Amino acid sequence: MKAPAEVVSTLSHVPGVAAAMVVGSADGLIVEASPMKGAAGGAPDTRKHTAALAAYLYSKVSRASHAARLGTPSFMRLEAERGNICVVGSSDVVLVTIVTAEANLGRVRLDMMKAVREKG
Amino acid sequence: MTEPTVVEPWVAAPLKRLAEDARLISGVLLHPSGRAVGQFGFSKAADVMSICALTSAINASSRELGRQLYGKPFYEMHHAGGDRQVFMARCMAGEQEFLFVGVFDRESSLGMVEIYFSEFQKSLEKLRPHTEPTQPLPAGDFEGELNRSLDSLFGPIR
Repeated sequence: MKAPAEVVSTLSHVPGVAAAMVVGSADGLIVEASPMKGAAGGAPDTRKHTAALAAYLYSKVSRASHAARLGTPSFMRLEAERGNICVVGSSDVVLVTIVTAEANLGRVRLDMMKAVREKG
Repeated sequence: MTEPTVVEPWVAAPLKRLAEDARLISGVLLHPSGRAVGQFGFSKAADVMSICALTSAINASSRELGRQLYGKPFYEMHHAGGDRQVFMARCMAGEQEFLFVGVFDRESSLGMVEIYFSEFQKSLEKLRPHTEPTQPLPAGDFEGELNRSLDSLFGPIR
């Protein structure tokens, strides 16, 4: 994977991506994050919460996937009322994006998968 | 998870929620003097007594270390062991200061503990009794104060 700052910068420019983050998979702490697009001024910053919970959820999904003998999950998407959270694992980190409901999810998925494959 | 045992009843609900949400194995809430306020995950008073004494000493040392290094005290500490991790931080409820120490493993993460700890702090602030804080006991009474709080948590030692 390329440098976290580069990955975050690339993903945050994908249409529909409200925020992109590189998060430690073991500790759930943000390594690098883009600003939250469309957040109202003075609104609380929820990226830290999202990062920790998404990393935690991904670790549980990985366990379920291994338990079902399906191997490591390549892509995880959580669909909610007003958008999606997408997660892709890459050894010690996970890429997390907060995506609007109108986004082209195929493009987001492709760019996230590409980001973890590309060598720095 | 075992229910928290507490000296001050208003901390029971926030402590229970923190333990459940952050998936902590054990934890102790105490006054900076070393007096226990509540705990979960421990069955022996001796264990809580050691943890309170050590946490109080570590807190004093890390604050001083922070002052020496950066001119500001350290208020939060994390130690990642091979299997289990320790999170230690201070929290305020009005003018009253508390210390919290919690243990977790791979079922949780530092990020999770941090976010739920910040919610725990908000709960303490919201639920705190609006009375004058009790006068601190003389500094020399550390052992007596610790024993009194342990008696409240586990009952008097016979």
